[in-house]
Amino acid sequence: MALGCEARTLRLVHTGFRMAREQGRPWVAVHVEVLDWETAEEADQARVWLKEALDLGAETAWVQAATVSEGLVAEGARRHVAQVVMGRSRPRGPWARLEHARALETIRRGLGARIVTLPMEHAPAAAKPVQTPLDFLGLVLVMATILTMCSIFASALFEAIGFPGLPPVYALGIGFIAHRWGRAFSVPSAVAAVVVFDLLFVPGHWPSRPEDWSNGFYLSAALVLVQMVVLLVDRLHQETRSLHRREAETILLMLVGRALGRCATAREVASVLAERLQGLFRAQAWLLVPGEGDAWRPFPESLEPPPCPRPSEFLPHFSNPSTRADPFEPLFLDGCSFVALAGQGGAEGLLQFRLEGGGPLPQESWGLFQSLAVQGALALERVRWLEQAEQARLDTETERMRNTLLGAVSHDLRTPLAAIQGAATSLLLPEPLPEATRLDLLAMIRDESERLARLLGDLLELTRLQSGSIRIHKEWQLLDEVVGAAVQRLEHRRGPLPIRMDLPESLPLVPLDGGLMEQVLINLLGNALRHAPDSPVDLRAWEEPSGVQIEIADRGPGIPAEFRARVFDKFFRMPRNLKDGGVGLGLAIASTIVKIHGGAIWVEEREGGGARFRLTLPLDGVPPAELETESAALTMGTRP
Amino acid sequence: MTQPLILIIEDEASLRRFLVPTLVNSDYQVLTAATGTDGLAMARDHSPDLILLDLGLPDLEGGRVLQTLRQWSHKPIIIISARTQEADKVQALDAGADDYLTKPFGAEELLARIRVALRHATRTMNDSPVLQCGALKLDLERREVSLDGAPVRLTPLEYRLLEALAQRAGKVATHAQLLNEVWGPVGAGQTHYLRIYMGTLRRKLEPDATRPRYLLTEPSIGYRLNLD
Repeated sequence: MALGCEARTLRLVHTGFRMAREQGRPWVAVHVEVLDWETAEEADQARVWLKEALDLGAETAWVQAATVSEGLVAEGARRHVAQVVMGRSRPRGPWARLEHARALETIRRGLGARIVTLPMEHAPAAAKPVQTPLDFLGLVLVMATILTMCSIFASALFEAIGFPGLPPVYALGIGFIAHRWGRAFSVPSAVAAVVVFDLLFVPGHWPSRPEDWSNGFYLSAALVLVQMVVLLVDRLHQETRSLHRREAETILLMLVGRALGRCATAREVASVLAERLQGLFRAQAWLLVPGEGDAWRPFPESLEPPPCPRPSEFLPHFSNPSTRADPFEPLFLDGCSFVALAGQGGAEGLLQFRLEGGGPLPQESWGLFQSLAVQGALALERVRWLEQAEQARLDTETERMRNTLLGAVSHDLRTPLAAIQGAATSLLLPEPLPEATRLDLLAMIRDESERLARLLGDLLELTRLQSGSIRIHKEWQLLDEVVGAAVQRLEHRRGPLPIRMDLPESLPLVPLDGGLMEQVLINLLGNALRHAPDSPVDLRAWEEPSGVQIEIADRGPGIPAEFRARVFDKFFRMPRNLKDGGVGLGLAIASTIVKIHGGAIWVEEREGGGARFRLTLPLDGVPPAELETESAALTMGTRP
Repeated sequence: MTQPLILIIEDEASLRRFLVPTLVNSDYQVLTAATGTDGLAMARDHSPDLILLDLGLPDLEGGRVLQTLRQWSHKPIIIISARTQEADKVQALDAGADDYLTKPFGAEELLARIRVALRHATRTMNDSPVLQCGALKLDLERREVSLDGAPVRLTPLEYRLLEALAQRAGKVATHAQLLNEVWGPVGAGQTHYLRIYMGTLRRKLEPDATRPRYLLTEPSIGYRLNLD
């Protein structure tokens, strides 16, 4: 796909995108920069199209070559393209047509690829900003040549038709000059033509007879007519030019609008605006948003903007546009232009903006600039609403969480407390209790206080984890040790447990926070043992490309498919387990810890019945350096 | 043998109410102090055999009390800490505390820790070079390790690690202490060295490396050689 720099190129890009999608192939957008031919504006425009193609999933390439076909062939061969899509401008004149056909043939031969050309109504030559300028000598030469040619042709005609045939010949010549080099030049040419005409075709070199006068008059009228036609054509060209400019601006605004629509933060809005303004006006742009302490918070932050007055002084200047003659006029101050990004709730911020030369923005760009500012303001406003909505959602979530927490805590804390209080007051009764009852009550006090301690510990842990205040301290560790510590703690509490472990010696070191990961394993193993007390629990670990995998499988009742996602929610308990003394925090804690490790946790059904919890821990980062060799370490500190 | 004297520096009355009778009942003499300043004064006046020190004291930071104590006393100090004071705990252990207990704890655990600490204090005086626990026998003088009478071959680094643990047998040894004793200054912060060598030691000495019986892990803190 070859891109030009005209506004129509956008259509070409979209066609390329559609064709690639229909054919299910990757596509590449190529801009060939013909050396010494392209102006800076054209290059900027081409960059806009390439960016658009990039957004649509194309790879992009910028090639420099002597001719378009050469560049295309080189780039196409490098990427083994199967098909070339080009926009075809309507070639002007037979020579251009020939050239065009030759270029196509070069590409076809060079790549062996199919070529699709899209007919494009081309923006006429007027799209080029200035005609090839000529210096004075050049102009005189051109004038002389054309008038000479006209005169030779006219003398041939004079023989055949006579006098009336001559003025149109000169009129044609002058018309050509006016068309090619501009009206300003055609006027002296016309005067020269009258002089030459008189010198050559009027006997005695100066009109003496009435019919000679009328011929001279006839010629002059023809030339004036030509001037008028040229004037009209010129105006038409100007109209077309501004039409094209407006079309380009519309497309640009559309692209900016779309890019802004995807922004989720003020920083992204600023970077889109800055990028577009840089491309469009070759200017540095900043988005100024009022920050803390009556100071501006500039975006992008990477580059300090030129200083400007504080928000409290400066913003009022923008709230009353009637003080300026043109509402579109940006405020110009110390080499920078400023325009307000005004949303519904007043100014969202300012767009500060410095042109390369440091001068004010040209008047014809004010409108476009203001349109960009309005789009920016809308985008900023949207971003702010999004943030507020997210905050509201968080608040609701926190509130809900607090209510659930209160409910759960008040029930789950009261139950063991009630038991402890009851047992203790019974023990304090004046009538002595039988020894067995006494011991039983004491054991109950111990068990219930342990349960309370666990519950409080879990609650604290989860709050700490979710408040983000916890700092994860990853170290490269052997899984054996973490698993061992977890099992050790469980067995310390309950005596030997039926846990079967399969941890191959080949397991790599895993970056993890030992204390937190031990908690995960304790929670998972504890659950498995609680729900499947009569069968062993299997713990396996192995390495996969995605990281180390750990599996804890039991032969308990398993977890029905409809609960598998929800078991990791806070305070979620399966209906059948409501009375088992748990609070529904263990898996929530485990899942939070695994997530802050960058891993994943889920539960599956185990073949043959039971639940199988799986977790994967990524092997991120650089593993620790090689261990010192024994001998090297020895020379340092062995006893003599 | 006289009853060992234990000084409790703990500001919470309810905890003192539980600690005092428990310890007295186990034949210890007990002194209590509710603040760090009082505690330091009592330690100076009565030179207790063991100190139970709470890290969360109202007047002085537990760490400061510990540092001051360590300037002139080498008697065992057991730290009592809440679960939120992990970092302080490691700091205190590195600064010379012998062991720690995390609140809440049971009487059994408390008494076991006190026994180990006191035994350790007397053993360094006797200076017995041979440690024995179940099948594992460790002769520090002849630098020999055996399991069920069969000698175990250890690399020099493995041996030095085991030795460093044995010198604190029964008590916790922090990562920093072990790294410093085995690898010297280059070991600072390289916890993974320690982990790998503990792994190989366990494979050589433990019947089941994932269920260690001798070489216990104290998560986030260090290791403990268990000789009970």
